[in-house]
Amino acid sequence: MRLPRDTGAAVVFLSPLLILVVGLIAYPFTRAIWLSLTDKLVGYPERFVGLRNYAYLLDDDTFHEVVKNTLVFTAGSLVLKVLTGLAMALVLNGVWRWRNFFRGLFLLPWITSTVIIALTWRWMFDAFPGRGFFNSVLLDAGLLRRPIAFMATPAGAMAAVIVANWWRAFPFFGVSYLAGMQAIPRELYDAASVDGAGTWQRFRHVTLPGLKHVLIVTIVLSFILTINDFNIVYVMTRGGPGTATQVFATYSYEVAFNQLRWGRGVTISIFLVPVMVVAIALVSRYLLRERE
Amino acid sequence: MAHRRVSRRQFLIGTATTGAALAWGTREAPAQKKAASLRLWILKTYVEPTNKAVEASAQRWAAKHGGSVTVEYFTFEDMQTKYVAAIENKNTPDVGQLETSAPARFAGMGQLLDLTGFAKQIESQVGKPPANVAPVNIVDGKLWAIPWYIMAPFWYVWRDEFEKKKVKLPTTFEEAKQAAHALNRPTDNFYGLGQSWNRTADGYGVMQSLMYSYGASWVGKDGKYRSIKTPAMQKAMRWATDIYKEGIQPADTLTWTGSGNNENFIARNIAQTSNGPSITFAMENAVAKATDAADRKKKEEALANHVALPHPAGPEGLRMWAIAMSFAVFKNSKDPEAAMSLVAHLLSPEETLGVMKDSYGQFAPVLDKGRAASKDYFNKNENYRTFGKAAEWFVPTGWPGPITAAAAEVQASNVLTDAPAKVIVDKWSVDQAIEWEDKKIKEIYGTLGA
Amino acid sequence: MTVRAFTIIGLVAFLLIVLVPFWWIASMSFKTYEQVQFATSIYVPRPFTWENYTVLWSATRFPLWLRNSVVTAVLVTLITTVVASLAGYAVARLRFPGRELFASLILVLYLVPPALLFIPLYRVLAELGATNSLAALVLSYPTFTVPFCTWLLIGFFKALPRELEEAAFVDGATRAAALTRVLLPLAAPGIVASAIFAFTLSWNEFLYALVFIQDETALTVPVGLNLLIYGDVFSWGQLMAASVITTLPVVALYMFIHRWMVEGLAAGSVKG
Repeated sequence: MRLPRDTGAAVVFLSPLLILVVGLIAYPFTRAIWLSLTDKLVGYPERFVGLRNYAYLLDDDTFHEVVKNTLVFTAGSLVLKVLTGLAMALVLNGVWRWRNFFRGLFLLPWITSTVIIALTWRWMFDAFPGRGFFNSVLLDAGLLRRPIAFMATPAGAMAAVIVANWWRAFPFFGVSYLAGMQAIPRELYDAASVDGAGTWQRFRHVTLPGLKHVLIVTIVLSFILTINDFNIVYVMTRGGPGTATQVFATYSYEVAFNQLRWGRGVTISIFLVPVMVVAIALVSRYLLRERE
Repeated sequence: MAHRRVSRRQFLIGTATTGAALAWGTREAPAQKKAASLRLWILKTYVEPTNKAVEASAQRWAAKHGGSVTVEYFTFEDMQTKYVAAIENKNTPDVGQLETSAPARFAGMGQLLDLTGFAKQIESQVGKPPANVAPVNIVDGKLWAIPWYIMAPFWYVWRDEFEKKKVKLPTTFEEAKQAAHALNRPTDNFYGLGQSWNRTADGYGVMQSLMYSYGASWVGKDGKYRSIKTPAMQKAMRWATDIYKEGIQPADTLTWTGSGNNENFIARNIAQTSNGPSITFAMENAVAKATDAADRKKKEEALANHVALPHPAGPEGLRMWAIAMSFAVFKNSKDPEAAMSLVAHLLSPEETLGVMKDSYGQFAPVLDKGRAASKDYFNKNENYRTFGKAAEWFVPTGWPGPITAAAAEVQASNVLTDAPAKVIVDKWSVDQAIEWEDKKIKEIYGTLGA
Repeated sequence: MTVRAFTIIGLVAFLLIVLVPFWWIASMSFKTYEQVQFATSIYVPRPFTWENYTVLWSATRFPLWLRNSVVTAVLVTLITTVVASLAGYAVARLRFPGRELFASLILVLYLVPPALLFIPLYRVLAELGATNSLAALVLSYPTFTVPFCTWLLIGFFKALPRELEEAAFVDGATRAAALTRVLLPLAAPGIVASAIFAFTLSWNEFLYALVFIQDETALTVPVGLNLLIYGDVFSWGQLMAASVITTLPVVALYMFIHRWMVEGLAAGSVKG
C-alpha cells in the first residue's frame, strides 16, 4: 500500500476544497450558532442572551404557522413529484425511437431558473385577465364570467406555490426513475409474465421494488432541498397572503432583513438543522451503500 | 440600551459639528479648495425623467465646485435593506435621501451628522419647512435631516362613473365606501374600490392615514407607547376590513403588488384607489405614445376623466401619511463640508424648481422657498393644484408623537397591514387582530425604548 | 388501455405540461402593454411586437445584469471545475485515511442550506470587503457548486479503469502527468457535465445575489427581474422578454450536453 505517498498528494489535491469548506461553510455555520444566541439587531452591537430567541420562536404563533406551511409545502409537492415522476418514467419507457429527445425536452423545467419559474407560475395563476393563463383561457372560452383569484386565499396560494415547485422538479424524478427502470433486469419481467402477472402486478412486484433505492434517494434529497426552498415562495407570494405561504427560509429572511433582527432570523433556520441531520444521514447511507 | 449609551457621544459630536458648521457657514457659497468626491444615494421613483433630473442637479454642483458626485439609486422596495447593508458594512454614502421614518431610525443608531446648525445657516437660502413637516427629522431636539419634498397619495377616481350614477365625489373614508357600493358592478368586472393592505406605501401608508384620521394611534403626544385597543381603532379596523367583506373590491386585491392598484385603475377595473401621481404620469405618457388619432382621443378622454382628489378625511380630520424625503449626511463621510454644500445646492429653490419640472407632479416641495418657486408649475390643472397642496395635510409616522426609532420600526415590521390581513384571510375577529397588533407594537417599544 | 395508447396520451400530456408555461411567457413577451392590460388577444399576439425586447435592451439595466450573470457564472465554473476535479480525483483514486468519511462529508456539505448560511456568510463577506460586488458571489457560489460537482466527478473518476493510470506509472510518469495526459481526456465528458452544472447553478442562483448585493449596477439577472416586478408602474412585457432571454443560453448549452447531464444525474441517484 502506497499509503504515505498518497496522503501527501491527497492533501495537495484536497486543500482548495478544504479551504473553501472551512472558510465559507464551517466557519459561517459556527457563527450562525453564535448569532442565534444573541439579540443582534442591525445597526446596534450584539449582546449574548442565551436561548431567548429559541424560546420566543417556540411561543410565536407565526412560527408555528411557518412550521405547518413548510411541512404542507414539502409533503404536498413531494407526493406530486413522485407520482408524476413515475408516470413520466413509465411513459418514456414505452417510447423507443425518440426517447432521448423527449427525455431532454421534459427536463426543460429543471434547468430553468427558479426565479423565472416562480414568475411564470405567478402569471399563470394571475387574476388579471390578459396576464393570467388559466383565467384568460377560461374567460375566453366562456366557462368563467369573472376571473378567479387563485392566489388570494391561503389554500389557493399554497396550491400555487406547490404547483410551481412540482413543475420545476418532477423531471428530475422522472429521469431518475427512468434510469432506475432501465436498470431492472429484463429477466425479472419475463419471469413474472411466465407466472401470469398482468401489467399492474408486474409494476407492483417488479418495477417498484426495483426502484426502491432510487425512490428513497430522490425523496430524501428532494425533501432536504424543498424544506429549505426560498426562491419560489419569495418571488411568487412573499409568504402571503398574510402568512399563509410563509416557510422557514422566507420567514428567516423577513425577520433578518425587514425586522432587522439577525439573532432571531438565524435561529429560525437553525431549527431545521436536526431534521436535516437525520435526513442527510439517511440519504448518505443509501447513496454510499453500493460504493466500493 | 445600546442606542441610549450612544446619545452622550452624539451630543459631543453634535456640538463639534455645529461648531464646524457655524464656522463654515459664515463663508460665502462654498468654493472647495480640494476636489471632493461624494457618494449620493437617491430614491429611484417610478418616473424616470425625475430621477435623471435629480442626478443632473447633483452633477451641476459637481461642475460648479470642481468635485465629483457618484449617484447611486435605491428603490421603494429595497430602501431598508440597502441602507441597513451599508450601515453594517460601514460603507454608508456621504449624502443620502432618507424616507419619512429613516432619520429617526438611523440617528438612533448614531449614523448621522447633526444638522441643526447647518439648517439654520442655509435657512435664508432655502427656507424652512412648515410646522407639520418639520418634526419629521427632529430626534432628541436635534435635526438630523432636512426635508426636500413629499410624495403624497391622492384619492384617484373616475369622474364619469360618479357622474353616471350621480354620486358625489367623496371627501371622507365613509363617503368613499358608500360611493364604492353605489358604483359597484361585479357582473361587469367593475368594482367600486381597490385598496390593498400590502407591504408597500400604498398599504401601510393608507392604513396610517386611515388610523390617524380616525384619531387612532399607538403612541401619545410624548412618543411613548399607548394601547391601540380603543374605539377609534375599532372603527378604523372595521373600515379596513369591511371593504373586503362587502364585495366592493376585486377578489385578488390583498395580493396586489405595488403596481396592482395602478393597473387595475388604468384598466378601469376599479372606480377609486389611493396612489401617488404616478397614475397621472402613466396616463400622460400613454397619450404621448398614442398610435393613431382614435387611440389618442381615447387616451386623452381617459386623462381628462381621471381625478386626483385630496385624500379622504376621517371623523377627526384629514391626516395624510406621505413619504417625506429628506437629505442627511452620514457620519462616516470623509468630506462633510462638501456633503453639506451638496445638500444646500440640491435644496435651493432654483434646483428644486428644475427637478419639479420633470417630476410630473410627484414631488410637493416642503421648504417654503421651494414651494414659492414651484407655485406656477402646480397651476397646470386641477389635479396638479391638488398635488401642490399635499404638504398641508401631511402627518408623519408615529403621529401624534415625534418620529422615533420605535415608531419607524412599527411601520417597517408590517404589523399595520398584517393585522387587517389576519381578519380578511385568516378570518380573525377585529378584536383579535387589534389585540395581536397591540402585542406586537408593545414588544417593539419594549425592545427599542420609548 | 394498451401500453401504446397510454404512452401516447402520456407523451401529449407531458408535452403540454412542460411547454404551455414557456409558450405563455414567450407569447406575452411579444404583446404590447395594451394587449396585456386589456386582454385583447390571448393566444396569438396581435399585433406581434418586438418592442419589449428593444426597450428592455436599450432602456433598462438588463444588459448589465446579463453581463454580471455571465461573468459570475464563468468565473465560478472555472473555480469549481478546478477544485472539484482535483478533489474528485483524490477521493476516487488516492488512498488516504478517512477517505470514505470525506466522501460522505462532501454530500453533507452540498445539503447545508443557503437559507441557513446567508446571514453569517453575509457578515463574513462584509468583513472581507466583498459585499456589494460580484466578488461576493464568486466567493460564495462555490460553496454549493463545488460539493455537488465533486460528488459527480467522484462517480465519473471511479468508473474509469485503473489500468490506464497504472500503465502510465509503469512508464515512469508522475501522478500529475498521469492525471493530465491519461485521465483527463477520458473524464472529459464528466468534467464538461460538471462544468455545465456549475454554470447552471450559478446562473440561476437567487438568495445570495439578493442578500449580498445592493448596488443596482452589480445585480445579476434573477435579482434584477425580482426588482422589476415589485415596482409601481412598469411593463410586464419587458419582464417576460427578460425571462425569455435569460432562459435561452441555458437551454442552448443544455441541448448539446443533455445526455451527459442525464447520465450524471442518474449515476448519482441510481448507482450511488
